Amino acid sequence: MLSLMTQAFLLFEEATPAAEEETSGVALLLPDKNEAIAGIIAFAIVFFFIWKWAVPALNKTLEARQQAIRSELEAAEASKVEAESLLRDYEDQLSGAKAEANKIVDDARASGEQVKADVVARAETEADQIKERAHGEIVGERERVAGELRRQVADLSIDVAEKVVGSSLDAEGQRELVDRYIDDLGGVH
Amino acid sequence: MESTAHSDRLAGYSSALMDIARAEGDVDSFVDEFYSAAKTILGTSELRETLTDARIPVVRKQGIVGDLLGPRVNGVVVASINFLIAVGEARSLEEVASRVAQLAAEEEGTVVAEVQSAVALDAGQVARLEAALSKATGKRVQAKVVTDPALIGGLVAKIGDTVFDGSVKSRFADVREQWG
Repeated sequence: MLSLMTQAFLLFEEATPAAEEETSGVALLLPDKNEAIAGIIAFAIVFFFIWKWAVPALNKTLEARQQAIRSELEAAEASKVEAESLLRDYEDQLSGAKAEANKIVDDARASGEQVKADVVARAETEADQIKERAHGEIVGERERVAGELRRQVADLSIDVAEKVVGSSLDAEGQRELVDRYIDDLGGVH
Repeated sequence: MESTAHSDRLAGYSSALMDIARAEGDVDSFVDEFYSAAKTILGTSELRETLTDARIPVVRKQGIVGDLLGPRVNGVVVASINFLIAVGEARSLEEVASRVAQLAAEEEGTVVAEVQSAVALDAGQVARLEAALSKATGKRVQAKVVTDPALIGGLVAKIGDTVFDGSVKSRFADVREQWG
């Protein structure tokens, strides 16, 4: 801006002699020399004030605004990053939760199957035991009955045999029995 | 020690009866009659129940004995049995008879074989049985024979704690044991 003003001033310096010689052509467009000086001075003063206070204030405002926008942008960026990281976290958590839920379901299913298998195995074992016990009881009962029957048959047979022998032993038979036993006693010892 | 005291009392009665027999003179016939009376006639379970029944008066029991043995048996024997009933030892009659027989046998240097036979034995059989038992035990044996039809056939001889069992009943008992 300063260089622009200097150029304008130089242009003005060069143009001045021509204006005094003849007031025609381009010189018609140029202001009077004193007017120009006053204008330039006024312009310089205004320029100075503007350059000294207004521009810095404007710059400052702009900068502040720029700064504010930048910081807002940064904040937004940060928020976005944070949001993304949160989102990622949530996604991670969600997938973790899903995996855990799946795992829990799988575990539950597996343990349910295990329990089922256990129950079935226990029931089978118990059934086997009951069957075995029943079988043992049946066998025992059969043996007991068979033994009882054998004993009864034996008792009856012996009772009958005793009666038969008793009634079939006549005096001669009795005598022979005694004699034979006496002979045995004398012979054996 | 009740049983020991009782056993001592029975021993006392037995030797007292031996003294009575000696006093009367014929020890052998007394012992034989006493033994067979106690073992056979009084040894039946019905009579034993009657004689040991506390509700029946002693006099009545003695009357039954007198009726049963009566004139067939020496009066001293009946009196001895009545004495044992009077002192409340009716249930020990058989044991006293065994003891008396043993005492009499000891005096003669022999041991008693208490023989139960299904049928009565004749003198020859008794003699051969005594010989066989003497051979078996190494002692002089004197057999006291009573009949017991429950044996079915054969005989059982008991000398002290040794039993020679040749009865048909015990054969059947053996068979019953094996089959049962």
